[in-house]
Amino acid sequence: MRIHCTKRSRNIGTVRPVIPKRGEKDFEPAPGGGSGLQVHVLDRARAAMFDALKADRAISSKSASYGIWCPQISRVHVTVARGIHFSVMGHSAARPTSIDNGPTKLQKRLELLPEEALYLIERGALFCWKDIQVDLTGLDDIEGAPMSVQQAFAEIIGKEDLTLEKYQVFAYLRRLGYVVTRTDPPSPSYPVPPPRLGSDGAPLSFCRRLLSIFSLFTTSVLRFWRGSFNWWRPLRISRWIHHDKSYGKVLKSLRVITAGHSVTPHSSRATPVAPSSPYKIFYNMYKPSTNFRKTAPPQPDFQIVVINARTAFVPSLYELTELFNVLPEIPPPLPRKRGAPPVVQSSPAAVVSPVHTSTFRHLFSWLLPSSTSQPISSQPRPHPFAALKAGKKNIVIAAVDSGNISFFRFSQGAFEEWPTL
Amino acid sequence: MWLGYVTYERKHIDPLSFNSQVNLARIAGMTPPILLRVSNFKAYVWDVDDINILRSHHHICGILTGTLPHLSSQNIFLGLPLQLMPEEAVLLLENGIAVLVDDPSAHHIPSPSALKLWKEARLDDARQQIALTEEKGSIEASNPDRAMSENAKRKRKEREERRARAKADTAPSVTAEDSPSPHPTSENPSQPAIGEPPDSAIVMPSKSYTVNIPASSSNLEWYAPHSHASLTIAREAGIWLYPSTLQERARCGVFRDLWEKGYYMGGGIKFGGEYLVYPGDPLRYHSHFVASVIEAPDAALRPMEIVAHGRLGTGTKKAHLLCEWNDETQVVSYLSVEWAGFG
Repeated sequence: MRIHCTKRSRNIGTVRPVIPKRGEKDFEPAPGGGSGLQVHVLDRARAAMFDALKADRAISSKSASYGIWCPQISRVHVTVARGIHFSVMGHSAARPTSIDNGPTKLQKRLELLPEEALYLIERGALFCWKDIQVDLTGLDDIEGAPMSVQQAFAEIIGKEDLTLEKYQVFAYLRRLGYVVTRTDPPSPSYPVPPPRLGSDGAPLSFCRRLLSIFSLFTTSVLRFWRGSFNWWRPLRISRWIHHDKSYGKVLKSLRVITAGHSVTPHSSRATPVAPSSPYKIFYNMYKPSTNFRKTAPPQPDFQIVVINARTAFVPSLYELTELFNVLPEIPPPLPRKRGAPPVVQSSPAAVVSPVHTSTFRHLFSWLLPSSTSQPISSQPRPHPFAALKAGKKNIVIAAVDSGNISFFRFSQGAFEEWPTL
Repeated sequence: MWLGYVTYERKHIDPLSFNSQVNLARIAGMTPPILLRVSNFKAYVWDVDDINILRSHHHICGILTGTLPHLSSQNIFLGLPLQLMPEEAVLLLENGIAVLVDDPSAHHIPSPSALKLWKEARLDDARQQIALTEEKGSIEASNPDRAMSENAKRKRKEREERRARAKADTAPSVTAEDSPSPHPTSENPSQPAIGEPPDSAIVMPSKSYTVNIPASSSNLEWYAPHSHASLTIAREAGIWLYPSTLQERARCGVFRDLWEKGYYMGGGIKFGGEYLVYPGDPLRYHSHFVASVIEAPDAALRPMEIVAHGRLGTGTKKAHLLCEWNDETQVVSYLSVEWAGFG
């Protein structure tokens, strides 16, 4: 057997690879395949690279996890779970298990999705057996055919909607420490974030209405008190006489071309987005700092679409609209305070909407014309350009061209909500 | 006019290639073909020596895409496998440098006897490792004067004492050196021993040793690759379809033509083209061109594209190369765009 004849150079501690350092590149090789120095430097660079590639995937037997790859259900059943990886990966699923060759019973067990299993194998954290129909008596701790990383690549990719591109994005983000989960649960037992509440619920709109009444009232009183005439607001709209009128509504009724993202783009076809469109949200992503509990995952920080850059086109307006329709609105970015530590953003629901805040500030500017003694409002006013740039909704699109991953962020800016007057 | 374009045909891009071509043919004839493992219509290389040959002799780079063991929290330098662009795989196959292997079907189900052998090898390895550590430990204990200074000696002693103390605390029972403990492994607490141990000789030792997860399958006894030597055979077997459209044929044609001129190619998606064209190994040299493939002589090319390519190429100190493929004559013609910058 030649499995373990690899260099066992010093002791059980393995040779740790080092990332080869690359110096300054040259413009081009000298005629005839490069000068002596160039050839020498190139050979050394190549040797360093291949040395790093030759490193063994070796783990201590005390920290190795074990699992069984079951191709029929596209899951890896984890028999021994060790290490921190299982705090963000794997879910429990009930599977019928026969006890002592007797009756079958539903038993909960820890299972990994294909991408999670492959990532752990690649990292050298999981030793995976393949479930085979061979009599294994007399081979006590052998639970199937031992899998190499190569076999895992060949057999695990392609299962449960996992393409190579999707795996590469998963591994890329996991290597950086992000927590990545599936958006659509591949099985009912897979934990997903709770469904989002409607963004404009009844309480908010009621609150807003109340505020608008108040603001109209105060402005008219103040106008009377200050004896000025506002040329920008020539109409005197009284809430009590004109039942349902306000400047916003008057202007809106004058608007010929509708604006805003609530209007769906027109299409001659009934279903402008083909069902085969690659623009479907695949992963939920959490920042490494998120307090992630895998049994009850919170709302994701980002959602990711993975496409193959060789076959997919730039997303159409319809595809983007369809993506944004399911995404939550995010609060506008807060202005950065100079010298102060960055403000920790609270959850989306707690942040006052921009319209709300602006009305509030507007009110105060009327009340107290000298802006020096302004009371500090709870939220600093977001900068309109920053808010436009960040957009209200965000989607990350990962375009993979045979191993090259590029991340793009598409966001939906709302120009109609930030009048620049 | 504040912008202008220099357009000219590049008839002969590089003179260095002819000699190396002859060399390549000789090498390709001598060595057995490299196995490209194909699964899900993607071609991988799993052997570091093969990667070396591809890179040094055939200037085919591919892209490393796996997680590097022990350096697994970075994306700067990745490990095995090497993923090949489909154009690269097609070129290697057509030139007889490599053959395709359907990887999922090459992994057969091992027989119980093969598994037993594998298990014994693993056990031997673990025992050897443990013996080695102990031997090393004893050598160090018997020869403590290797340390240079008094200070170092003192520190070493302290360290050893600490280690000994820790060892005594954690594992007070490990005394038997030669025979591993007769009870089954304690590494499997969730599973109460699958089948009673029939002959107690084959039991994994309870001491710490290194478990190796093999990267490549080549050394596994039940791995039997069956190679497909040409595109037609591979297509009939249903493992490889590239190139199947005009666009894919154009890409293969352009790739081959640039490769035959002696260039190294990498993916150019981050520069707005199909390939980055390097005069030498990308490890050491900058790329000179961003190549974009135009699939037919009568394909439309919008002026905006030329402006964008010219602007981006100049901004990154590269010239943009428009490579036009003629599917009838199988000839590529090149046009390079540069920002002239008069005034």
